[in-house]
Amino acid sequence: MSLPRQVMASPLPGLDARRGFDRQMSMVVRGGEFLFVAGLTAVDPNTGERIRGTTMSETHQILANLRLLLEAAGSSLDRVVKVNVLLQSMLEAPNVNEVFAGFFPEPPPARTVCGACLPDGARVMIECTALA
Amino acid sequence: MREVITAPLPGLDLRRHYGHYQSPAIRAGGLIFCSGMIAVDPQTGERQHGTLSSEAQVIFGNLKLLLESAGSSLDRLVQVHALIYDSIEYDVLNRVYRQYVTNGPPARTVWTAQIEAGFKVQLDVVAAA
Repeated sequence: MSLPRQVMASPLPGLDARRGFDRQMSMVVRGGEFLFVAGLTAVDPNTGERIRGTTMSETHQILANLRLLLEAAGSSLDRVVKVNVLLQSMLEAPNVNEVFAGFFPEPPPARTVCGACLPDGARVMIECTALA
Repeated sequence: MREVITAPLPGLDLRRHYGHYQSPAIRAGGLIFCSGMIAVDPQTGERQHGTLSSEAQVIFGNLKLLLESAGSSLDRLVQVHALIYDSIEYDVLNRVYRQYVTNGPPARTVWTAQIEAGFKVQLDVVAAA
């Protein structure tokens, strides 16, 4: 028996990477018991326009969008098992941590944070795996 | 069902020592997802900066403790992300890696990244529960 693989529909037009930017990717794909969410940068969920601000404000926007995506797929932030955070600068890690604590309910997911070069001048990118 | 794997020794709880808002590992869907592991003393949580080789040895020791406390082991690794500070150390990582990961090695990706607190290596793994 094979488990389902399903591309989840985006809840808002701004959260549909293919529609706005013709990127060959889906934002959320279900595979078996898990949802795999693409690396998210800060965008306006209605228009898809990129939002650039401080690392904290971008993180806040990304996690708000992540919550929308997960809930539209029938999951939620408290079902996230693993988060990978990519930062333009590791000096910002404590700020990101603070925003995380305000978003994810107890107990938090497993997480890895590292510094990397990000596209389009983004300061933060977050990808995650959640239970469907 | 999502279940938090608590740290088997106090030093492995990075939240307790460094305020990282994360669980040491989460078991879900037959898998164990570990938070990024860095070289810390498993008893005290003190950072153990050193060479890439020494840091990787500490991390594998800690990973073994964490996975075994959750009923898994290094033999049950499925996927490994190894972050290193400089790709010139790739072979150094491999030498340590071979000592700890012997049996049908897991899928692995190695890349260069900035790691917290100036560490030289960080391991991010998924294991079968």
